[in-house]
Amino acid sequence: MTDMIIFGKTKLADIVMQDRRALVLLPRFGIELGFGDRTVKQVCEDRNINTDFFMLMVNVFLNKNFFPDRKLKNVDIDMLLRYLENSHKYYLEEKIPYLETLIEEFINKVDHPATQQLEKFFHQYIVEVKEHLAYEDETAFPYAAALSEQIKKDPSNISDIDYHIGVFEERHDNIEEKLTDLKSLLIKYFPPSNDRYIRMRILNELIEFEDDLINHARIEDKVLIPIVEQLEKKIS
Amino acid sequence: MNRTLIIAEPSEIIRKGLIHIAESLGFFSSVKEVACSSMLHDSLKKYKPQMVLLNPTFVNPDGLLELKEISGNDLLVAGVIYSLYDDEIVSMFDEVIMVGDTRQKISKKLGDLLDKTPEKNRKKTPETLSARELDVLKLLVKGLSNKEISDKLFISTHTVISHRKNITQKLNIKSVAGLTVYAILNELISMEDVQ
Repeated sequence: MTDMIIFGKTKLADIVMQDRRALVLLPRFGIELGFGDRTVKQVCEDRNINTDFFMLMVNVFLNKNFFPDRKLKNVDIDMLLRYLENSHKYYLEEKIPYLETLIEEFINKVDHPATQQLEKFFHQYIVEVKEHLAYEDETAFPYAAALSEQIKKDPSNISDIDYHIGVFEERHDNIEEKLTDLKSLLIKYFPPSNDRYIRMRILNELIEFEDDLINHARIEDKVLIPIVEQLEKKIS
Repeated sequence: MNRTLIIAEPSEIIRKGLIHIAESLGFFSSVKEVACSSMLHDSLKKYKPQMVLLNPTFVNPDGLLELKEISGNDLLVAGVIYSLYDDEIVSMFDEVIMVGDTRQKISKKLGDLLDKTPEKNRKKTPETLSARELDVLKLLVKGLSNKEISDKLFISTHTVISHRKNITQKLNIKSVAGLTVYAILNELISMEDVQ
């Protein structure tokens, strides 16, 4: 994993080659693979993506020490929200269903009384993740969108939006935490099983998902929340 | 891990001989020598060795405890004995090397002694749960609250919480649901208990 900072002149392929975590970002911007040797700037311009925004997201996502403070005021909040919603869509429509299939396969292959409880644990966890994402999609994000809309229209006349991004900040719990439990159980405590590499595949997926969630949360904490706080200051 | 050996022995012939053997064993990343008892404390502080081969004349019985205090309680001390010594002195060492010992014998003695080290470390941070932690875990996965567990085991809720912290640390599992899977895997409870 690199701590490289991405520039417009960097070839997009080089970024993905150097850090595979960048792969999951591409569909969130509607970028398909097969972009040849084109640079970040070129790929973004081809697809009408704001290059600065793309680079900001990639840098925050790949580099946990990247502090975007000065670049925040240029961020278009609608673009940001669309990106975050796309991430959620990926979790809900791709990642979680695939994990569910793998876990189900594992449970079917491994004959152990504890698998039933593992299934229960996993389903409970998925319910929690879905609740977490739904809260953001249905409450926090629409609030941010409405706020920015109001400010564009008429900042002096803000209707009584009964919400505050501080609530989101407080509620923003670590949904990746339970993945550690799952990893410990599969690595250390389930007895050896002849499951044709399924357990390994699950672990790979879990580790990737965990990483993705941590980086995603960092974008929410370091980009979304500060921006909305700035908007809130404008109306108070 | 620091794999330094200090050989504290006044006789140059024996000291050099021991260094030669110790280096050939491959157990240690470095071997240092101390020829004079007055240098021993400083060397321990400086090198933080894992083991010392010590001529008994370098310390009195209380001095040995002092050595262990200086470099941490995990320090292994093997005595270097030329001839007959008082049992009391011999028994204060973790192991005893006789000058007549063969290389094989020294290798076995030091190897066995080193094998004891992880066991000592394990005592400090065991990954297995203590009996009390198991009690707490069993009740926890049956769905009892901290308060209910504290009533049942006659301990304070504070103690329950501290047990829970240790359990999580040792197993690397935090949630009750995850601990439940662990408990079933290890047959601490049966499926009926959690349904």
